[in-house]
Amino acid sequence: MTHINEQSNVQSPVAWLGAIAVLFGLLLLASQGNELLKQVVIAPGSIAELGVEAQCRADELEEEELSLQECQLMVSNIQIILASSPDWFRSFQITLSCVGGIAAIFSILSGFSIVGGQKKKSRMWIFSFALLLLIDIAGFIAAVNIGPMLRAQYLWPLMLWFFIHLCLLLAVCNIASAYKSTEN
Amino acid sequence: MPEIRTPRAIIALHWILAASVIFLFVSSWWMLALPLPSNLFTYRELPFQLHKNVGLTLLVLIVAMLFIHFVSKYKAVNSQQNRLELWAHIGHYLIYFFVATCCLSGYMSSSYSGWSTTLWWLVEIPAWTNENDELNILFSDIHGWASWALLILIAMHVAAALYHAFKDDKLINKMFRLD
Repeated sequence: MTHINEQSNVQSPVAWLGAIAVLFGLLLLASQGNELLKQVVIAPGSIAELGVEAQCRADELEEEELSLQECQLMVSNIQIILASSPDWFRSFQITLSCVGGIAAIFSILSGFSIVGGQKKKSRMWIFSFALLLLIDIAGFIAAVNIGPMLRAQYLWPLMLWFFIHLCLLLAVCNIASAYKSTEN
Repeated sequence: MPEIRTPRAIIALHWILAASVIFLFVSSWWMLALPLPSNLFTYRELPFQLHKNVGLTLLVLIVAMLFIHFVSKYKAVNSQQNRLELWAHIGHYLIYFFVATCCLSGYMSSSYSGWSTTLWWLVEIPAWTNENDELNILFSDIHGWASWALLILIAMHVAAALYHAFKDDKLINKMFRLD
């Protein structure tokens, strides 16, 4: 079960960047997983879209500490999502969240290798953060083209992720070039 | 004296636990805004089953993690602890405790609510109790408060890890090992 550390002197000068990359990678993985779940659950043609009234039992309202209005608006919330989504949006988001989830795992692994100071993997770091940036851009373009009520929910978090990934990409590019110049 | 490395299984379980717990927080905040369940409105069915499945699996993983901790020679912190290391030690066990509390109280709440649980859509967990609204609310409250306590502890854990990362004292390297 235990192993003797033969490489304890190996240390990255930018371990903090790796730790931050892993932290954001985990948050992104959860976010992409939740987006995938959202798209699977809220399907076109489901009951909310048929105009069926919300069913709000008094005991359930009490249990969840909800008002009757809130309970009814929960159904409206689903209707907003479905009404604001063009036909292509759901399949696009399912694909994008799957790719985004894989890219997030890739960025976590990159974070690990940054902490481990594995200089040879610097191209992988650049690739993984560039991929995340492309996914953010694709998501942003898609969100621009959906209905305003849903767009309002997507654009701001996407913009935050874009700038986080931009910072990480520029940081790893800088480190990779510094490694290259020390090798030369 | 050679340094004893953290077992790979502990590292893998730590990160699986981290990803799962963050996912559980994010997805639970979202799923509680879905319409209340009824015969017609079944939007909560999949997210709640998934939430319970991940939670019950985490309980098994926590037990496995503690087992490996106890059987291996590896110790998370030095035996000659200073006050900060002692707090770190307590913090780790509090995280385990609150993850386990969240999982158990969530399962208890679900059991008393009368909803069945099918582990990963494969194994039906038999209902061992009758529906009881009062106990359902009690365990639901415990679940909620334990989750907030866990979130605070996770924030402190991340803050401590980042502090050591910025300090560059190699302490975090043991949990970021791929080999």
